Amino acid sequence: MAARTLPLKKRGFTFEVFMWAFTRFTVMAMYGLMIAGILGALNLSARTGANFGDILYWAFFPNLAENPLGQVWMTILAKLMVIAFVLSACGHGVHGVLEILDDYFTSHAARRWSRNFIITYAVVASLIALYVIWTT
Amino acid sequence: MGLKRDVSLSAALAYQGKGPYWTYILHRIGGSALFIFFTIYILALVGVQAANGILSNWIFQLIFLPFMLFHAINGLRITILDLSPKLIEHYRMAINIEWVAYAVVTVYALFVVLRNAFGG
Repeated sequence: MAARTLPLKKRGFTFEVFMWAFTRFTVMAMYGLMIAGILGALNLSARTGANFGDILYWAFFPNLAENPLGQVWMTILAKLMVIAFVLSACGHGVHGVLEILDDYFTSHAARRWSRNFIITYAVVASLIALYVIWTT
Repeated sequence: MGLKRDVSLSAALAYQGKGPYWTYILHRIGGSALFIFFTIYILALVGVQAANGILSNWIFQLIFLPFMLFHAINGLRITILDLSPKLIEHYRMAINIEWVAYAVVTVYALFVVLRNAFGG
C-alpha cells in the first residue's frame, strides 16, 4: 500500500486542517507534560522517600497538597504545569467530543447547540481550573 | 449538514473492521471516559469532597484506567503515523505493537490499583 501524503499547500488552511493540527500539537504538549511530570515525581519521590502516588497527587493537585520539599518555586512550577496540562487537555478534548457528538446529532440545530454547549463548558471549566489552581 | 446514518448498534458491532475498527471504537470510549474524568477532576480541584472520593475509589480506577490508558497509547500511535506518513503502510504492525504496549502498561497499572486497594 502506498503512503497517502498530501502536501500542506494542497490541503489548504481550512477549519478542519487547523483543528487536525491543533489536536495533534495539543496532544504532543500533553505527552511532554506527562513525561516531565512523571520524571519530576520519580525524582522527588527518590529524594524525599515519599510514596510515588503521593507525589503524583501533589503534582495534580498542587492547590490541595503540601509541596514535599517546601520550595516555593517548585509549587509555582507545578501549578504552571498543571494549568498548561488542563488547557491542552481542554483544547484537545473539545475537538474530540465535538467529533463524537457530530456523529450522533444529525440535525443542523442539534449540532449547533451541542457545539455551543461543549465550547462553553470547556471555556468555563478551564477558567475555573486556572483560577483555583493559581489562587489556592 | 443533516447527514443521516441509520446504522443500528448491532450492525455497527457486527462490522468486520477488526483491529483498526476496534481501536477506533475504543479510542472514542476512552475519550468519553476522559471527558468524565476531566469533569470530576475539575470538581475535585475546586474542593468537592465527593469528587475526591470518586477519584480515589479503586473501583472507579479499575474501570476508567484501562479506557484512559488505551486512549493515550492509541493516540500516540495515531500521532506517530500522522506525522510520519511513510509508516502508514505498516499500520497493522503498529496496532499489534500498540496492543502489546497497552497490555503491559494496563496490567501493571491495574496491579498497582489492586495492591493499593487491598493494602499489599
